[in-house]
Amino acid sequence: MAVYKKTYRPYEGELTASWSRFLVIPRYAFEELHGKRFLTFFFLASFIYPLICALIIYVQHNTSALSLLGVQQGARNLISINVTFFMSLLGWQSVMALFLAAFIGPGLVSPDLANNALSLYLARPFSRAEYVIGKMSVLAILMSLMTWVPGLLCFGLQGYLEGWQWMRDNWRLASGTFFGAWVWILVLALLAMALSAWVKWKPAAGGLMFGVFFVASAFGGLINVVQRTHWGNLFNISNLIGLVWVQLFEGSNQTTNGAVFFRATQGEQLPMWTTWAALGLLAYICLYMLRRKIRGAEVVR
Amino acid sequence: MSDSVISFANVSRFYGEVLGINNVNLAIPAGITSLVGPNGSGKTTLMNLMTGLIRPTQGEIKVLGVSPDDPERLGKLVGYCAQFDACPKGLTGYQFIYWFLRMHGYTPAECDRKTATALERVSMTPAAQRPVGAYSKGMRQRIKLAQSIAHDPQVLVLDEPLNGLDPMARAETIALFREWGASGRHVIVSSHILHEVDQISDQVILLSQGYVVAEGEIKGVRDEVKEQPMQILVRCNDPGGLAARLFQQDHMVEAKITRDRKGLLLRTSDADSFYLLLNNVILEKGLDVESVAPADDDVNSVYQYLIGGEGAAV
Repeated sequence: MAVYKKTYRPYEGELTASWSRFLVIPRYAFEELHGKRFLTFFFLASFIYPLICALIIYVQHNTSALSLLGVQQGARNLISINVTFFMSLLGWQSVMALFLAAFIGPGLVSPDLANNALSLYLARPFSRAEYVIGKMSVLAILMSLMTWVPGLLCFGLQGYLEGWQWMRDNWRLASGTFFGAWVWILVLALLAMALSAWVKWKPAAGGLMFGVFFVASAFGGLINVVQRTHWGNLFNISNLIGLVWVQLFEGSNQTTNGAVFFRATQGEQLPMWTTWAALGLLAYICLYMLRRKIRGAEVVR
Repeated sequence: MSDSVISFANVSRFYGEVLGINNVNLAIPAGITSLVGPNGSGKTTLMNLMTGLIRPTQGEIKVLGVSPDDPERLGKLVGYCAQFDACPKGLTGYQFIYWFLRMHGYTPAECDRKTATALERVSMTPAAQRPVGAYSKGMRQRIKLAQSIAHDPQVLVLDEPLNGLDPMARAETIALFREWGASGRHVIVSSHILHEVDQISDQVILLSQGYVVAEGEIKGVRDEVKEQPMQILVRCNDPGGLAARLFQQDHMVEAKITRDRKGLLLRTSDADSFYLLLNNVILEKGLDVESVAPADDDVNSVYQYLIGGEGAAV
């Protein structure tokens, strides 16, 4: 046995906090995404609707602007700043988020799997959970900027112009926007990641994102027709999200049935717990799919 | 178990019904250790286990006292260079090393410094800003090596690190291994190129069909292979006379005089008796001996005896 003098000294300098290491992934991903013109344009275009909403709120509270537009004082209530207004804002933005997830999602995990890069991530002080959270945070950050952030900014603008009392009376609009958006973001991000891990061809994975929504919804409709039941609605993800939003925005005093793409079918509502359970099951399936694929070494049997 | 070795205690890993490695007990000390064995013998499985990329089906692994279940501590200790090209798409050589260093938690300035140092060590500085996808096979091998050493790990696990390197780069890389080994690091190398394994290794681990066939210093391993007669080359002024004297002994199996008629290549089942006898012959006959050297205590021979052909031990 060779005897050597031990001269090796490990690094003893400053390190960043271990909880923040997952942010390396989105930091790199944003640099890469920034180089894609179409995505940058699409992302910027997604702020048109919130800007229009902010403009409507501003004009509603600006008498000189109203008179300049030739609108009578009584006509200002044509567009009410209420639950429908905020749910529509969230609905449109969430549809944009679906497109964004379909564009970006497939490129998150599959290139790492195709290039054997997972072993490099996981041979570092980096766990599988941190890898998944890091990749998910790319979508979560971008979709947050598209959904609840403009929603809350509009809520803040309306509250600022209308007064503190309005904010207190309508706090559910803010919490509904925030939590409703997060339910959607988590569902989308998990689905995009799971599909990206299993379908290596990017266009197919992107198409499958939409397929999951439309095919599952059609399957649910078929169950409803054949079995003469409403339980098939549990396969309709947009219906489930609509139900969750209505509950979050309005509690038990419900006056709407969702917004845009996310509408709960009238008169066919299922118990709320089944809605949450169905979304939970979807999340579990996605996590299971990720667990099977996100491994340091691919096991070939 | 000591905190200065990489230890495997009764470790087995099965892929369903397929055996990866079975009942492995090892204590790998500092220095250069080579994993040698045919394809599918379990070399990569052993490496994946010690880097925490897969979990053992049974048994316990400790890397300098750290369990592979603790990626936060293990990742700091270990540098891993995978066998296959492994790089996220679209990165330049510099980004490849820099971004993976950020995962260790170094500050941006420290990452810059370490990236530059690692690139310099593998002579890749001029190509650092080019995409890894545009590199040649040898350059990709070197950039992989650079990312594995960039964080200055105490344990280096290198799966076929010499593949694709030209002779110059090969010599430089072997010199790097020697330097790392000499500084008290653990350098675990798997290779099929046996004469290089011979050159660089302090110890070898021979694997076959998921089992550890032998481990330790090459010479020690060779001495343990008793069923294969030892080959010894004696260069002297009278090889014929020496051969005649030796054939009176039971332990002599074979003797061949070399073409220049100044050497005798012999095979004996009892090397110690042979050396004793040689001393007597030198005294009795006044034999002029130029050199006496074992001819088969290298990895290649040990591999042949234990794994290859009829001599397979498993």
